[in-house]
Amino acid sequence: MMSVENSETININVLFFAKSRELAKTSRAVFAVESVVKTGQLLKQLIDRFDLSAISNCIILAHNENYLENLDEEIRLQQGDEIAVIPPISGG
Amino acid sequence: MDYIKLVNDKINVQQVHNLIVDDGCGACSMFVGTTRDTFEGKKVTSLEYEAYENMALKEMSKICTELRTRWPNLKHIAIYHRLGSVPVREESVVIATSAPHRAAALESVSFAIDELKSRVPIWKKEIYEEDPVGEWKENKECQWPQRSPLTLKAFDFSSCPIEDQSLTSDNKLVQIRVNDADLNRRVECFLKRKRDEINLYNINDFKKHSTDNESNCKNNEDDFTEETSCARTQSFLVKQHQSKGHLKVRRANNNSGPQMRPNYSQELNKLMASQETPNNPTDNNSLPSIRLRNIETYMGFNSDDNGNILNRIKKLENRILLLESSSPEYKYLVQLPKDEQSTSLRKEKKKIYMPDRLNCFIEKIKSEIEQ
Repeated sequence: MMSVENSETININVLFFAKSRELAKTSRAVFAVESVVKTGQLLKQLIDRFDLSAISNCIILAHNENYLENLDEEIRLQQGDEIAVIPPISGG
Repeated sequence: MDYIKLVNDKINVQQVHNLIVDDGCGACSMFVGTTRDTFEGKKVTSLEYEAYENMALKEMSKICTELRTRWPNLKHIAIYHRLGSVPVREESVVIATSAPHRAAALESVSFAIDELKSRVPIWKKEIYEEDPVGEWKENKECQWPQRSPLTLKAFDFSSCPIEDQSLTSDNKLVQIRVNDADLNRRVECFLKRKRDEINLYNINDFKKHSTDNESNCKNNEDDFTEETSCARTQSFLVKQHQSKGHLKVRRANNNSGPQMRPNYSQELNKLMASQETPNNPTDNNSLPSIRLRNIETYMGFNSDDNGNILNRIKKLENRILLLESSSPEYKYLVQLPKDEQSTSLRKEKKKIYMPDRLNCFIEKIKSEIEQ
């Protein structure tokens, strides 16, 4: 079962904000990715796909509105999950 | 009660205040963040806020939970943040708390704004007068894990700098396989040798100088010219008249220093050459060699020790032939001691003494005849 799940590719919704939105030239995109993936690998794929290399050192991802702070952590994605690309914040 | 809101219009501060005022509370604390008109000398015309709205509300709610854990007496909490374009002087964020006593209210507001700046996904873009495109700001409280580009490209071996390092350092590395004690001994020997070398150079460089200086000091005690010397060149400098700064060289004596060190390659060649000669000196001093040299001297040759021995013998033979041809009786005289006929060349040479005696004999005979 695990091996089937590992090889499965699903579509997720990717949200872009601030500088990443300007670089990706969109605020929202559908992205195909393996359902089980390390955060760091997902981040690298997004950087390559959406031309985010200018800010690659300082962006963080959020999965369904929760920060993914550990790049080595493996995440399990469901069809339609929301991944947000979050550049350094500047609220307040 | 927690009041959390993202608003697109002007925040009504009085209205927020009214939300948190409570009959049982002696303290209402409020932080109002407003937009500034300058950043690093640039004129700010307006600020654009955007948010990941659902997540921002979630994070603001988490902040409220955190506040209530830390200050259980808090009555009401309000966190309002404005989005969209905010003109200068207007409020972008309002945080307000109420509590029975002021400490909790004051401290919780301060904590809340720090937390908001570090974790709520809201972004601010400053639009400048001279730069209408603007610039996305970064809160210093925002501490995303700092990553080097290599972290993301862990499997990209071409970007790995270790290979380059090994290539550049390779040609200067020496591999020594010995145990630690031996290695330490070698290092100590090397250091000692280098130290001795330096000491020797220092002695050579300063020895002459110091003795010269002493004698000069004695000689020049009455002399007003102040003499100074450079360690390596022994150049003595004398101040010019009516001048404090300019010096003229009286004498430069470059007889010590690096320029006078021996030419090591030349010295080495000498040593290498001398290794070949040891056979000849022992040969030269051997008995046959000395005898041969004596013979040559007698026969009027410059004894050339370095010459090939066969050539030397050939010369002697030629000389004998010459003598024999010039005075045939010579051979007869030489052959007088018949018993020695089979002797070597050396024996024959001894007979060469005969002509002297022969001369004496002839002289005697002459005188006898004259008488």
